[in-house]
Amino acid sequence: MRLDAEMPFFFGPDAGLFGMYHAPSVPARRAMLMCPPLGQDLIRCHRVYRQLAQSLAEEGMAVLRFDYYGTGDSAGDSAEVDWDRCVSDAVTAATELRQRAGIDRVIAFGARLGGSVALTAAERARFMEVIAWDPVLEGDRYVAGLDAMQAALREDAGRFNRPRSHSDVADQWLGFDIGQNLRHQLSALLVAPANVPTLVLDSMPASPTARWERIVSHRGKVAAITPPTPWDDLERLETAILSHPLIQAVAGRLKEVA
Amino acid sequence: MREEAHRFGRARHLVGISGLPEGPRGETGVIVLNAGLVHRIGPFRLHVELTRQLNAAGYPTLRFDLSTVGDSAASGGQQTRAQQVCADLDDAMKLLGERAGCERFVLFGLCSGAQNAHVVAATDPRVSGAIFLDGYAFRTLGYKLRYYLPRLADPARWARRLMRRAGGAPATPKTTPQPVFAVAPAPREEVIADFTGMVGRGMKLYLVYSGGISNYFNHARQFRECFGKVMSHPAVTTRYAAETDHTYILTGDRARLLDGVGGWLSRNFPPASAGRHP
Repeated sequence: MRLDAEMPFFFGPDAGLFGMYHAPSVPARRAMLMCPPLGQDLIRCHRVYRQLAQSLAEEGMAVLRFDYYGTGDSAGDSAEVDWDRCVSDAVTAATELRQRAGIDRVIAFGARLGGSVALTAAERARFMEVIAWDPVLEGDRYVAGLDAMQAALREDAGRFNRPRSHSDVADQWLGFDIGQNLRHQLSALLVAPANVPTLVLDSMPASPTARWERIVSHRGKVAAITPPTPWDDLERLETAILSHPLIQAVAGRLKEVA
Repeated sequence: MREEAHRFGRARHLVGISGLPEGPRGETGVIVLNAGLVHRIGPFRLHVELTRQLNAAGYPTLRFDLSTVGDSAASGGQQTRAQQVCADLDDAMKLLGERAGCERFVLFGLCSGAQNAHVVAATDPRVSGAIFLDGYAFRTLGYKLRYYLPRLADPARWARRLMRRAGGAPATPKTTPQPVFAVAPAPREEVIADFTGMVGRGMKLYLVYSGGISNYFNHARQFRECFGKVMSHPAVTTRYAAETDHTYILTGDRARLLDGVGGWLSRNFPPASAGRHP
């Protein structure tokens, strides 16, 4: 492995965004920006994001992983995470990637809310394509799901010796403080189709493909990945999400459009 | 406070973030080890919150990924895991020493992080303090009494058992949770000898155990039951947080943990003269 080919650094406003640049093994013609999900999904996906980045860099792509403001190693508190800032951070990261790699053609990848960020930022960031893994399209259902899991967490006998009080679990989602602003932003979120080719990688448990039609009917397609990814399983909240089929599907797609 | 991203180490295989306080710095830096396989930000970003709070209090910090964890690669050497951990911590102490001028170090580790911190703290004279969260522990007689006696005295439990025997109710299938975090056992006498050696050479220890490890630890008294009289040494502080889980998922629990760590550090390693002890 080319260790110096993976460089951690800070960039963006006040050098507050953390990035990990994976230099390509050969001169690259394309680059990939990996938009992380939010909350616990970010931690669970860290390893598969790294594996995918390494795999693509070996195939000759310049890759940038990064953390939004208020997440991961970036500046800011968890309670300060803001949807609009996440989208503008993705735009900033795309600019940074173009400068580092000396390439204009950037494809975006994102899992869950990371896919939603990539789709939302597509025009401003001038992505040539978006690959979204189980993106969140309707925020109100997503918020309801998180609220339900947080309520179940309060009484999780596998975690706590006694049920916790309602105030103990208030204003948080699965380990992270949430501001009212983010709650409102996500509740109102309705991701529009991106005006670029879009590939949705679907590994939602028993999901009807029709749920993606709204964003892929125009310029895109859906590919199924098995087995289903346990995104919303409270018992596996701290288990890493790993998926070789995902890595193969992304690599395969990039070979198709090379 | 300023944070810097580093690729460092004997094989430039490690990745970490140093946090450097504004103004005068103490001589003691705090190094945070991975909890299980979670990358350096820690469970629910615990390590980010911790290091930034300590930076604000004047302590230089480093949160980093050990070899093969998070963003760090293998060093390529032929070493046991314990040797690797010691070499990685040597690299980490050198880096923080270069960036912040620290000469002494406090290690912070949760679960396997506590186990790794223990290995280094037992052998490296630069380590002057350690914070072990849910580290080594053993099921003692006291543990078993506290666990089983209430169950023996519970009539509802007996009734359920009798009904199952009579075939009146199906046994509830037991699901075995997947172990995500775990501390590998070590011989008890060895652990006691390590703790005794640590305080003997002037180290300060802070043991914080949570209700999340109730399958082998269930009372504040168990520190003494496990490790004997060394737990009463003035250099040792213990805390049992029965209400919390293993990884501090609730932000209020995390805040109380961080306040406890900050208070313990300021009492034992005051920022202005941090590290100035034998």
